[in-house]
Amino acid sequence: MGRRKKIHKEAKWPRVVSLEEREEVLSFWEERFGIPKETFQDYLLLSTAKNYWLFIAPPDLRPLQNLKVQTVGLLFTRRVSRWLKPTSTALQRFGHLATKNVLELSPSELDRLRREKRLPFEAEMEEGYVIIKCEGKVWGCGLYAQGKLISFLP
Amino acid sequence: MLKVTEAPAYFARYREIIPDFEKFLAHLREPLPLYFRLNELKAPDPEVVLAGLARQGVKAEAVPGFPHFYRVEPRDFPLGNTEEYYLGYIYPMTLSSALPVIALEPKPGEYILDMCAAPGSKTTQIAQVAEDKAVIVANDRRLDRLTALVANLKRLGVACALTTLYRGEVFPFGVPFDKVLVDAPCSGEGRYREGYEGELLYQKEGHTNLPAIQKGLLVRAFDLVKVGGIVVYSTCTFNPEENEMVVDYLLRKRQAEIVPCTYPLPHHPGVTEWEGRPLHPDLQKTARFYPHETQAVGFFVAKIKRLF
Ligand SMILES: C[S@@+](CC[C@H](N)C(=O)[O-])C[C@H]1O[C@@H](n2cnc3c(N)ncnc32)[C@H](O)[C@@H]1O
Repeated sequence: MGRRKKIHKEAKWPRVVSLEEREEVLSFWEERFGIPKETFQDYLLLSTAKNYWLFIAPPDLRPLQNLKVQTVGLLFTRRVSRWLKPTSTALQRFGHLATKNVLELSPSELDRLRREKRLPFEAEMEEGYVIIKCEGKVWGCGLYAQGKLISFLP
Repeated sequence: MLKVTEAPAYFARYREIIPDFEKFLAHLREPLPLYFRLNELKAPDPEVVLAGLARQGVKAEAVPGFPHFYRVEPRDFPLGNTEEYYLGYIYPMTLSSALPVIALEPKPGEYILDMCAAPGSKTTQIAQVAEDKAVIVANDRRLDRLTALVANLKRLGVACALTTLYRGEVFPFGVPFDKVLVDAPCSGEGRYREGYEGELLYQKEGHTNLPAIQKGLLVRAFDLVKVGGIVVYSTCTFNPEENEMVVDYLLRKRQAEIVPCTYPLPHHPGVTEWEGRPLHPDLQKTARFYPHETQAVGFFVAKIKRLF
């Protein structure tokens, strides 16, 4: 359990995204899951390559930027080709606030999805990323498309 | 590693400071109860977590005086294999390990340095108490341990922390820290019990000079915190050379004051004399916690204010 990601010794400070980019990412969360943008008002959105990170907005960021950091904040969203994809890490933290595109699975369905990675699936729901829930617990991210449910669970 | 039959001889030097010494020795033969902290950042409804654990045969009872802490029966239950652990709803930890953060009183908006942070039981507790709104710098000098810390921050869903890999003694100046926690590397005597897998570091690595390292860490922590700020120094050992004498060293070198603190577990004042050597009288405001009185790992906690 808990596959560990290697951390790089010479990691750089992620950049603070522009207002437009922030708006784009937070709008995605709001439109797709009904999680209001204000949920994240105390947080900065930072970016490294294709990743967006959520980090508490400090009174002043500059002194922190002089530190040689290994990681900053929580991995929030990824850019996958033209799409934005929520991370399971972030969904586990904020997914309970969602009002739509939440898939409630039974324990046996969840088990099967985790083992087989994709299942034939039909639901009354727009195609796209979904929040996978089971017995009140948010497990993370799935993709519903073309009659299939694909697992992005860790 | 120390055998339980060798414990009386090893701990004999503390006969005068450990209360009910015979009881203490007898207690080393008993296993400690199991506790976890419930992570409300990810589990806004604790009932879901408790019900899930109950279905697996875990009885979890809230601990008076310790918000979010639960005592678990049976005490050998493998909490680390549960879904609740995997999803970051719980962090198993010994109860006394919560005390340094209780002394620290983290608040939203504060800059906090956790100088020896890995694997993160206290970093994640700070984040939770400050509702994920303090600015936490979680540092450790060892990359392997920092990796475990990063995994725990992710597992618990913490967004208010960044991680760094410095030797605490040379952590760079420049961030106006309101508070610094030094949960120092120590000989770990407070963890000792029969069958315990860990080691008494002090014995194993006879050549490492822990008090010297601890003094270096504490002085740097003090110099990093802003004037009026708080440094909490903690260890899980009984040894006054790693506890009061380290703080005594700081009190002699810097303008610092010990702040009295109330704790939800029985404790004793710090010693003000050791092996014939008098120490600063204010050290009685530090706190010593013993396993046979707390049913948890032995701890030492000092809350220190920077005056100048
Ligand atoms: C008692 S453990 C910390 C436990 C941690 N605070 C927790 O609650 O999970 C001490 C830590 O100090 C780290 N350490 C040892 N020497 C250090 C130094 N010079 N600077 C920074 N960290 C150090 C060790 O790698 C170890 O992880």
